[in-house]
Amino acid sequence: MDGREAISIAVRSVRAHKLRSALTVIGIVIGIASVVTFATFGASVQAEIVGDIGDSNAGNIYVFGTPAEDEGFDRVFQPVFTASDVSALGQIEGVNAVIPRGVLQISSVQAGNQTLARQQITTTTPESITPDSVVSGTTFTSGNDEVVVNERMASAFSENLTAGSTLTIVRSDGTAQPVTVTGVINGTRGELPISDFARQPRIYAPIDPFHESIVESPSAGVRQRAFPQVTVVTDPREITAAKTAISDYLRTDSDARQLSATDTELVARSGSDFVDEISDVIQQITRFVTGIGVISLVVGAIGIANVMLVSVTERTREIGIMKAVGARNRDVMGIFVIEAALLGTLGSLLGVPLGLLVGVLAADYAAVTFALAVDWIVLAVIVGILVGILAGLYPAWRAARIDPIDALRHE
Amino acid sequence: MSEPTTTAAAADTTATDGTVVVDAVSKHYTVGEEVTALDKVSLTLEEGSYTAIMGPSGSGKSTLLNLIGGLDTPSAGTVTVAGEDVSTAGEDERAAIRGTTIGFVFQTFNLMPRLSAIENVALPLVFDGWSKADRQERAIELLADVGLADRTEHVPSELSGGQRQRVAIARALAPDPALILADEPTGNVDTETGSAILDIFDELHARGNTLLLVTHERHVAERADRIIHVEDGEIHSIESLTGEA
Repeated sequence: MDGREAISIAVRSVRAHKLRSALTVIGIVIGIASVVTFATFGASVQAEIVGDIGDSNAGNIYVFGTPAEDEGFDRVFQPVFTASDVSALGQIEGVNAVIPRGVLQISSVQAGNQTLARQQITTTTPESITPDSVVSGTTFTSGNDEVVVNERMASAFSENLTAGSTLTIVRSDGTAQPVTVTGVINGTRGELPISDFARQPRIYAPIDPFHESIVESPSAGVRQRAFPQVTVVTDPREITAAKTAISDYLRTDSDARQLSATDTELVARSGSDFVDEISDVIQQITRFVTGIGVISLVVGAIGIANVMLVSVTERTREIGIMKAVGARNRDVMGIFVIEAALLGTLGSLLGVPLGLLVGVLAADYAAVTFALAVDWIVLAVIVGILVGILAGLYPAWRAARIDPIDALRHE
Repeated sequence: MSEPTTTAAAADTTATDGTVVVDAVSKHYTVGEEVTALDKVSLTLEEGSYTAIMGPSGSGKSTLLNLIGGLDTPSAGTVTVAGEDVSTAGEDERAAIRGTTIGFVFQTFNLMPRLSAIENVALPLVFDGWSKADRQERAIELLADVGLADRTEHVPSELSGGQRQRVAIARALAPDPALILADEPTGNVDTETGSAILDIFDELHARGNTLLLVTHERHVAERADRIIHVEDGEIHSIESLTGEA
């Protein structure tokens, strides 16, 4: 018999028991949906991070402290990287620039008659602001009482900040200092690739004169500015070698090593390291959720097998009729396997959009751009169909073995 | 008592050109103890003949029909239908024989409940690998022959008993079988409808089809050329009715 006819018979049988079929495929739907949800959500997060790191940041190496033996995202942001470290890093082969970053604790900022409470502003070098990130105005100049703000900050005041606006920084001790806004930017170079930070309203000020963390450099023996995080910009072609050299320096000769707690590890991470790190976490979550998905699929398979066994019993007489008019065992088997496969397919087809929908909602909730994981979706559909077929094999085999005489007598 | 049986069997076994040749067929079942449903039965159905089998329930007439129809295999002896040995054929072969060489008509119609009349009639052709267009054409033609041209899209539950049985007859005729087997075809319909169904069988007979009908009603059996009386798994007597004509 041709496949189309078998499919048509299977479709009819599924249609004849809509509720039963629907309840049966719920397990498959949940299994497929959970896998698809996390595959797409994971892909979205990953795409977002890769996008953040991007080509322009391909040569960036982020230097910071992390608690030893920690696999997660814990960071130790203590001002341990001294000016000596910054210049030493700058001497390493393949390094184009070293961008130290620190924070200045403040209590609020004022513009016009409006005061906004702010905890901190970022101190960095003018090099961290590349021309293409400047929306209007220019970057600040070292040594001047100047700042730049990002677009969110610019619009935080009822009267938008523009180049030339005056902003008053109120420090924790209450002293107020007027500064000039030289420009509005949409991001800085050397920012750690955790996207959310860039979207916060931020103020950037030159290290000189704003950076206040000062320690005595063990190597130089004088008091120097010290930074909690440094980004080294390298030639992307030499990033691997540069990273090794930076790691070596951090481990041995650096002030940062001596100034850090013994259980703090100083690390140099490239953008792709971040991607790998986050991918690992996503993979772990995906594995866990896939596990749940697999359990659902197994439950779903048992459900399908159960319903197919009931269906075989109910249709014993029909099987007898088919055999009496020439159906071979494999024809009967085919009809039931196709019916089970149809249930599996139905589960997949309902599960994929449901999974995608939840994936979209999750991506929206996590504020990442939704990305499709096509390979996972294809895999999920194939798995759904296979689960149906596997679940249907035994009932179909039972159906095929039914004796036509007994079947025709069956009430 | 056994005299006609012996002669009939002897005459039949020599006739090898018959549509159906049943040669010394026995069937034993083991239901707790061994039961002999048929004991060395031999008979021949000539092409174009119309034969009725009569006998009380449990006599073995249904077993005989199942063996000839390839639904069952004999414990001993051979059954040949249209030159094909049904008794030694494998399961797939027997399925093919059932689908192409034999047409079944059952007491309880045995139509597929979710298939329309046209699809029920076309069902044997599905398993025989006919194209959809050819199946359709054939089924419409056969339904028209049995007077159901206006009922092609109805499912069995929308048809009367007589209509259902006519669909079943059309289905039996679909593969143009060498033999039509009918098991109490009038058993589930009223007398008038039953008579109309028997008229169809008469017409099939007139057109040269080979018919074998099992019944326990004398007036039904009398429509045939001859009546084979089966009792206790043996042919008790053969009654020829052609002489009347």
